Amino acid sequence: MYSRKAAPRRLERRTLRDLQRLLGPENVLHEPEDVLLYEYDGSVEVARPDCVVFPQTTEQVAGLVQIANRDRVPVVGRGAGTGLSGGALAREGGIVVVFSRMNRILEIDLENQRAVVQPGVVNLDLTKAVEHAGLYFAPDPSSQKACTIGGNVAENAGGPHTLAYGVTTNHVLGLELVLMDGSVVRVGGRTPDTPGYDLTGLLVGSEGTLALVTEITVRLLRAPEAVKTLLAVFDRVDDATATVVEITARAITPAACEMLDGWTLRAVEDFIHAGFPLDAAAVLLIELEGLTEAVEVQAAQVFDVCTRCRAREVRLARDETERQRLWAGRKNAFGAVGRLSPSYYTQDGVIPRTKLPETLHRIEQIGATYGFQIGNVFHAGDGNLHPIILFDSRDPDQFARAVAASTAIMEHCLSVGGALTGEHGVGMEKSELMPRMFTDDDLELMRRVRDVFNPLGLLNPGKILPLGKGCGEIRVQPLPLRSSLPA
Amino acid sequence: MSAPGTAALARLADLVGADHVLTDPLSLSRYAVDGRLPWAAVRPGTAEEVAEIVRWARAETLALVPTGSGTKLDLGMPPLRYDVAVDCSRLDRIIAYDPADLTLSVEAGMRVAALEAVLARHGQMLPLEMPFYDAMTIGGLLASGSSGPQRQLYGAPRDFLLGAEFVTGEGRRAKSGGRVVKNVTGYDFHRLLIGSLGSLAIFTVANFRTFPRPPAQALFVASFAELDGALALRRALVQSPLTPTALELVSPALAQRLTPQAAWLPSGHWAVLVLVGGERAVVERHAHDLARMARSANAAALTRLDAEPMNRLWSRLREFPSLACEISPAPAIVRLNTLPSELGALAVRAETTAGRHRVPVALLLRGVGILYVLLLPDASSAETLARLAAAVGELLQAGAEYGSALVEFCPPELKQVVNVWGVVARRNDLGLMRQLKQVFDPDNVLSPGRHIGGI
Ligand SMILES: Cc1cc2nc3c(=O)[nH]c(=O)nc-3n(C[C@H](O)[C@H](O)[C@H](O)COP(=O)(O)OP(=O)(O)OC[C@H]3O[C@@H](n4cnc5c(N)ncnc54)[C@H](O)[C@@H]3O)c2cc1C
Repeated sequence: MYSRKAAPRRLERRTLRDLQRLLGPENVLHEPEDVLLYEYDGSVEVARPDCVVFPQTTEQVAGLVQIANRDRVPVVGRGAGTGLSGGALAREGGIVVVFSRMNRILEIDLENQRAVVQPGVVNLDLTKAVEHAGLYFAPDPSSQKACTIGGNVAENAGGPHTLAYGVTTNHVLGLELVLMDGSVVRVGGRTPDTPGYDLTGLLVGSEGTLALVTEITVRLLRAPEAVKTLLAVFDRVDDATATVVEITARAITPAACEMLDGWTLRAVEDFIHAGFPLDAAAVLLIELEGLTEAVEVQAAQVFDVCTRCRAREVRLARDETERQRLWAGRKNAFGAVGRLSPSYYTQDGVIPRTKLPETLHRIEQIGATYGFQIGNVFHAGDGNLHPIILFDSRDPDQFARAVAASTAIMEHCLSVGGALTGEHGVGMEKSELMPRMFTDDDLELMRRVRDVFNPLGLLNPGKILPLGKGCGEIRVQPLPLRSSLPA
Repeated sequence: MSAPGTAALARLADLVGADHVLTDPLSLSRYAVDGRLPWAAVRPGTAEEVAEIVRWARAETLALVPTGSGTKLDLGMPPLRYDVAVDCSRLDRIIAYDPADLTLSVEAGMRVAALEAVLARHGQMLPLEMPFYDAMTIGGLLASGSSGPQRQLYGAPRDFLLGAEFVTGEGRRAKSGGRVVKNVTGYDFHRLLIGSLGSLAIFTVANFRTFPRPPAQALFVASFAELDGALALRRALVQSPLTPTALELVSPALAQRLTPQAAWLPSGHWAVLVLVGGERAVVERHAHDLARMARSANAAALTRLDAEPMNRLWSRLREFPSLACEISPAPAIVRLNTLPSELGALAVRAETTAGRHRVPVALLLRGVGILYVLLLPDASSAETLARLAAAVGELLQAGAEYGSALVEFCPPELKQVVNVWGVVARRNDLGLMRQLKQVFDPDNVLSPGRHIGGI
């Protein structure tokens, strides 16, 4: 089914021995049954590492990278493994470096709204550590209970509220990096605009292909004084998308604007009981945040747009419990949908928001053409789509159709001026699609910049850039295999 | 290095048309960089022409300096070589503007002021108020890494630039990012190019997210006898739920220059300027809370300016480098980046340093953690320049202790004794920057020597 590469190389004895000496044997897994878990991430891909290591300090990371470099073994960083594009998979075998034991918050500076963290800190844990002071870490991927800040930095992760507050790159001030030669370099700082090229800006979103990140300095935001969460219920999908278009066109700026179509919300409701009406064609979950006065005005504007766009009902969450329930429905949607089918495939594409109505039509058509029900639960306010294709991966024909459908959706996104990925990354999932968005010169420049940091191609090989190798080595299109995403 | 031969110039004229190659001294004087003049200036009309010019220069082993409207050409160190100025001002078209999507794609030579006029017709804007506002171009402001007071609310250009097209030092056209508001496809070269002073590539197109113009605006000015009061107000503000657009603290010497004597800004007082935008109710809420905060911080006065008086005062502050030039014949502006909580200590240190070298000084503190030190010597003699240089050197040192620092503006002579990029001894990221320069511009065609570490 999946053309897995020739069995990964076995590590040389001395590689393993030196890793064990450096990290202690308990921090080095290499038996096949032990590394099995690390064949997967949140994506539909599979690739087996030769060994998995758990460093605890920057020095250890530098040391293990030197060993890998010396013995020409690939190295792949890994946070929580929730990534959806195969970023953390050892596509060419080698060493997976798991950052879960570098999970300390090193410094919190409440006065200046900064924190310095190790890469293995779980996203939500940082917010929990500072919320007593009315602060929080803004990037809020739906996986935030599990995913790490190192993973967020690598993927430049977003989330529902990045509509108003920006994605990870807008909140990272500085990084400590371990380069492939084992050197430790600091880029950026605690203050913005460190003179020189913006290496921090280049590193964030580079999907672990340029350096291993061992320390991150982030900005914290002050929690808003007022929050209003609205659930707008629609009898027609077109009315829901028209609402998003109109909210954007009127330049109303909600903190979040998420859409679930009827099919998805029924799957969710079954499982989560978020309070979504079962007979709706679509709902929008819209959150307004800020100064009380601003939120009042915006809520009235949003209410007006929804009504004009024929919302059947606009419901205001009465209290924090109801608000949390609605958000639980949204944040667990993928898990809920996953229960319905042996396999599912979550896509990630971006379009200009004006193209939302026609795009949802196109997705529906594509579903019909290839014979799938495609669900939509996504960051509508940013035009960041997440079509979900349900199918049975044991059926080769279904698999081929799922891949074709997914490519057709990507093609549509590009044809209306959009992008291949809004937050999940290119990884190994979309690397072969890169030439559809970038010219040879664009890609060549990326390759040469990668080579500055990663000259032997040992760091996270086979990601972002198309392989451009002999046909025999080009892997098959993404194969959706599992549905075991965290609920 | 010699002037490009007539044959080379003829080839250049073939590329862009003779009308767009300038060689007369009067025209060339507009392209001086730190007093240094190019042999020619060329005005490409398309991105492809920019690429051809770079390839031409590479083949002729000439050095180029890209320019917008030339307002920030004196940033960085003097170029090691400078043959031809690439004037991008003819690249001034809007490629795509989709007001309903709040996105924009614009050529790099477009003037920000002209662009704003277009956006304003749709009730939108870009938060790009910064010095030299009326003349500066999109490409110039990006390449120079400028940011302005609105950063408090909207962030810096790196936060709302969605993608870019550019020409590398090899004369290749390339792009990164895109036109949609969320996108993680490929490496973010457009961020890398911000602040690169045209040493890696020449911007040809920039894509932005646009913002709604606030329906109402007001400028609040609080005055304080002491810096401590001003700092206390800053602190109260940022710890409150209020959402000011800009928050600037201005030392007495500069404050006096902002407005003809006004009762609400007594001489010898610090001024805290708080710009607020939003719905009327939002502005009124700020007015209400600010009054309370100003009282507890012991402000001498608090006033509110709207409409014309607001714009006048605000644009004067925005153009603070011009104010420095009004005050002094040979001013220098040092910018220090620090943690907001250190602004006060650093301000005191800056005043002491300037005082020790007998250089008059004015300060502008930006709430997000930027301190502009305006050194304002009253003469431009060799002796004052020596004192200026000593003061600048010490400030750069202090800046490195507190965060980072660089010289944004100074007499060209100063650059013979001071490295404007500040103290880099403790940094270990310059090697990577040099290697990136090698990738983008292997033959050192673009702005050679202007950037950090001699890049
Ligand atoms: C249910 C679900 C919902 C999701 N929702 C969102 C969402 O709303 N928004 C969003 O953006 N994403 C979302 N994701 C995707 C994923 O959670 C994010 O990409 C997240 O940032 C990955 O973090 P991680 O710690 O799991 O990283 P991993 O998956 O372990 O790794 C991701 C990438 O980071 C690299 N990496 C990890 N640590 C380091 C390091 N220290 N140094 C260098 N490279 C490193 C890896 O090599 C890999 O390329 C979702 C995923 C799931 C399963």
